[in-house]
Amino acid sequence: MHADLAIEKPAHTTPGVAALEMAGIGKRFPGVLALENVDLRLEPGKVHALMGENGAGKSTLIKILAGVYQKDAGTIRISGVEAQLRTPRDALREGIKVVFQEIALISEFTVAENIFLEEYPVNKAGSIRWNTIRKEAAALFARVGFNVDPAAKVGSLPLSQQQMVEIARALAHEARIVVMDEPTSSLTPNEVALLFGVIRRLTSLGIAVVYVTHKLDEVFEIADTVTVLRDGRHISTKPIGEHTNDSLVQDMIGRRIENLFPRSRGAARDQVVVSVEDLSTDAKLKDISFEARAGEVLGFFGLMGAGRTELAKAIVGFDPIRTGRITIDSKALHPHDTRTGVSLGIGLLTEDRKTEGLMLDLPVLQNTSLASLESFARGGFVDETRERSAVQAFIDRFRIKTPNLDQQIKYLSGGNQQKVLLARWLMRGLKVIVVDEPTRGIDVGAKSEIFALIDRLAGEGLAVIMMTSEMPELLGLSDRIAVMANGRITATMARDEATQEKILNAAIA
Amino acid sequence: MSDLIQPAKADPVVGRLAGNSQIVLIGLLVLLCLAISIGAPQFYSVENVIAILRQCSLVLIVAAGMTMLLIAAEVDLSVGASLAFSGCVAMDVTNQTGSVAMGALAGILFGGAVGLFNGIVVTRLKVNSLIATIATMMILQGGVFLYTREAVQNRHQQRGFTEISTGYIGPIPIPVIIAAGVIILAYVVLRHTTLGRYIYAVGANEKAARLSGLRPERLKLLVFVVTGLLTGLAGLILSSLMNTGQPTAGRGFELTVVAAVILGGTSLTGGRGTLIGTLLGVLVLKVIDNGIIILRWDQNLQMIVPGIVIVVATYLDLVRRTSDAR
Amino acid sequence: MPQSPSLSAAAGPRSVSEFAVALSRRNEVALLICFVLLVAFFSLASDNFLTMRNVTNVLGQASLAMIAGIGLAIVVISGEIDVSIGSLTGAVAIPLVVVMNSTGSLELGIAAALLLALIVGAVNGYLAAYVGINSLIVTLGSLFVIRGGVYLYTGQKAIPDDLMLESFYQIGNGRLFGVVPYPAVMAIVLLAAFVYVMRHRPFGRQIYAVGGNQEVARLAGYDVRWVKFICFIISALLAAVAGILLSSRLGSAVHVAGLGFEFQVVAAVVLGGVSLSGGVGSLFGVALGVLILSFLANGLGMLNLATEWQLVVTGIIIIAAVAFDEMKRRR
Repeated sequence: MHADLAIEKPAHTTPGVAALEMAGIGKRFPGVLALENVDLRLEPGKVHALMGENGAGKSTLIKILAGVYQKDAGTIRISGVEAQLRTPRDALREGIKVVFQEIALISEFTVAENIFLEEYPVNKAGSIRWNTIRKEAAALFARVGFNVDPAAKVGSLPLSQQQMVEIARALAHEARIVVMDEPTSSLTPNEVALLFGVIRRLTSLGIAVVYVTHKLDEVFEIADTVTVLRDGRHISTKPIGEHTNDSLVQDMIGRRIENLFPRSRGAARDQVVVSVEDLSTDAKLKDISFEARAGEVLGFFGLMGAGRTELAKAIVGFDPIRTGRITIDSKALHPHDTRTGVSLGIGLLTEDRKTEGLMLDLPVLQNTSLASLESFARGGFVDETRERSAVQAFIDRFRIKTPNLDQQIKYLSGGNQQKVLLARWLMRGLKVIVVDEPTRGIDVGAKSEIFALIDRLAGEGLAVIMMTSEMPELLGLSDRIAVMANGRITATMARDEATQEKILNAAIA
Repeated sequence: MSDLIQPAKADPVVGRLAGNSQIVLIGLLVLLCLAISIGAPQFYSVENVIAILRQCSLVLIVAAGMTMLLIAAEVDLSVGASLAFSGCVAMDVTNQTGSVAMGALAGILFGGAVGLFNGIVVTRLKVNSLIATIATMMILQGGVFLYTREAVQNRHQQRGFTEISTGYIGPIPIPVIIAAGVIILAYVVLRHTTLGRYIYAVGANEKAARLSGLRPERLKLLVFVVTGLLTGLAGLILSSLMNTGQPTAGRGFELTVVAAVILGGTSLTGGRGTLIGTLLGVLVLKVIDNGIIILRWDQNLQMIVPGIVIVVATYLDLVRRTSDAR
Repeated sequence: MPQSPSLSAAAGPRSVSEFAVALSRRNEVALLICFVLLVAFFSLASDNFLTMRNVTNVLGQASLAMIAGIGLAIVVISGEIDVSIGSLTGAVAIPLVVVMNSTGSLELGIAAALLLALIVGAVNGYLAAYVGINSLIVTLGSLFVIRGGVYLYTGQKAIPDDLMLESFYQIGNGRLFGVVPYPAVMAIVLLAAFVYVMRHRPFGRQIYAVGGNQEVARLAGYDVRWVKFICFIISALLAAVAGILLSSRLGSAVHVAGLGFEFQVVAAVVLGGVSLSGGVGSLFGVALGVLILSFLANGLGMLNLATEWQLVVTGIIIIAAVAFDEMKRRR
């Protein structure tokens, strides 16, 4: 059955019948109506874009389609036949292949084995045909033009290649519907072009493609139809030709966000607070030098794998460095560890809240006061009354939505969690804060609040070093911009000299 | 879905009550006491209550350290072997020097040294603590026989040595007072000091703790040493109780301690647990033991019942937490 | 540690030196070198070490841990743990001997022993995989319950084998062609069978996938709970096989048999390179881990070192091996 690649086979379609028809889909999570009466109709051979802000319900809808979640209401018809998708296995059997945003691969397995994870080709005795797997995986990559070594262990590959494996995996078996959830988040422009080639090939075979993204330019390039969700409701479904940039944004946000990037602060001061000289690490960074001044936002831009997060972790003392000198307020960061860093006044707001920031099982109180506990302690004993009132003050000031201080932090929304982590540092009192992708996984309303907070911090005289892959964020917040590629700084410019083209050119260099 | 706003619990008071795994244990304890006292009215006698507390004390002393270790997301399975070894050391040094104080100090310090070794292996050599402490257990089990072929007798019949376990202050046996002291001290440390908070933080998220300027390795090392010292203390009391240093003592003790701590609601994955829970866990196990004896049931049930209780208690905890999240 | 060696060879021609480097990175090769060095050392140190008699004896002893170790390794690879195997290894002797004594049939006795294991494995697996209770707690619980049950049933005395069946004696003590002990034959057969399953059957790959990343395995359409459930059953059945062979060697159902066996087996499995966090490890590695520990114990005995030294040295070697592995991984 695997003699030919499934990708070469046309999907079985009946003219006039929708490949997929989801009608009146509803899904409730504890306390939240995630989806309410949502319809989605896919035509064979067409690309249907699914758009919406974080929390709009796109992921929930896709997970229902993938059999990960169970719908509470509505019907799903596949090629006109009602289908029950109770488990991922059911969805796979119906020919629904989902490329998830979070890489869903076994990192200890080879690329080739991951491609055939869903169904190993076996011989008559039931033994796995490793030769077939190897050959077909190589052939698959050759055909779609992805440059990935099928014998490599997935865990050893960079993120962008893992994403290509993830995409290729959806093509290994016969599919009727292919769903791609933000598939380009870590791809370079060239790789995106290859991906679009793959998608056109799929549609030419009559396969229906759902393309989930928040990138407008991609939608206009690849989609035939666009469905917009907002707050779990269906807002609009239109051919792409009837949309403009503005009309799409209008549908997605539903209201105009007034001034997403408020600026209240004055000009940066002259005082240099951070200086980094010739910093190199064994892992990635090469000869990084820069300075940041009090009261400025220094934005670092770079594509996936450019070394932004590595730089962030190195300058706060979390990751070891090989050579170089980091000075905070004219004191050397030595020994190179976070304890020294924090005592000198530099802290990191991590991009990975779950694994590096939050203590998920612990209450808001403990999460907020973690870095500044000493200041509420006398003789090693914590004065909980003072601690509580200090934390409460921040909760009020940052408008953090939590029923009380003893609520476990895992029950807060992403935006509120991020504000708690910011409060953790501000209670400590820093001179420099490094923020890594400060709005990742945060919905648009909370985003503008985070931006306002960052602006205020700089206004209060902190040096803010911001790592970001979001161009609007970079241009909207930074006073100066540094661009990284392959572990080096390739360009530095003032905000008013910066253009998207200049930045992108430096990032690809 | 990471950004779905999860529901706040409807009522914080009810939420906190329901979030309290100790309710289950207190209920269980009350039920057990009622059931046993129906079958054996002497259950409530002062002698029996004192006897239960005395039996609890050894486990409690070590469980206090083990609770902190589990909260810090580590474990120590060498406590049983270390218990026997430090008891032998305490007895031997008492014999050699003629001083009970020296012997006691040696026994406790030996336990501390074992803890230090475990801590270094786990935090510096990065060996998983489950494996590291199984290996330490083997080393100690072999080592104690190389140290002494047979039980170390109290050669000079030092009264002071046996007094450690058999003496009373007022009506209360000394081991119970020691255990109470250890529990109160550990409770205060965990609940009210920065150190205690940091232990929770390291167990809940080691990377976040490091980013906030803590030193997780040192904290963990410290907790290993504390657990070791407490094990040494328990070993001293045990050898005093038997009036000998017994190299084969303490087999399976590590499992009893871990079982009691887990029963008390401390999570194996770190960051969650309380000493009150541990106290209740030890009490439940020891009341069961006591019940089996005074009801004259087959004493071999002393192994079976706790085994079932641990699984059931964990199951109830699981049910409570999932219904909590709904 | 590539799980599919046939694949890693596929990348095309590589130079001999690259191949050697890749080979030395493999855990099994490092273990094999350790094993060879160990055997070389003891055969130089003692004339009696490398004799047919001694080697086959050690193999006979090692095979029990190897059989149980295969089962435990499979559970650990699936991301769980089973510490009840020591108790179970001792406990299966009771239905075996009791049924054999009353029916006179070895086969029925073995069937009773395996049935007990099947029940224990199913209960462990159900509670851990389907109810979702942490498997360390579940199996710690069954460790207590099984051992307590044995004490309760036997009154802490051994149950003798009344019939003294020759066939019962032979399975643990006999030798194939008068050379290879039957337990070793059993271990080799089981090892070969499970190596095949783990490498070349989709189910074996599912076990690795489930242990490597449970969520990914679920998205790939696997029934994660079922896979784990089966792993617990395999572990219990293999512990029972070890227990049957053990009781044959002991000639009775001994109430303390298998006490602490779980720790020995965990040590061997980890020494063999199986990661406690799941998804990583090979059964060859486990076999080598068992062999190293067994020959080490035997060799130290040959050198007239007290048996206690064996425990001490074993403990140190386990720490050293895991620490070394960790260092290698971080580099």
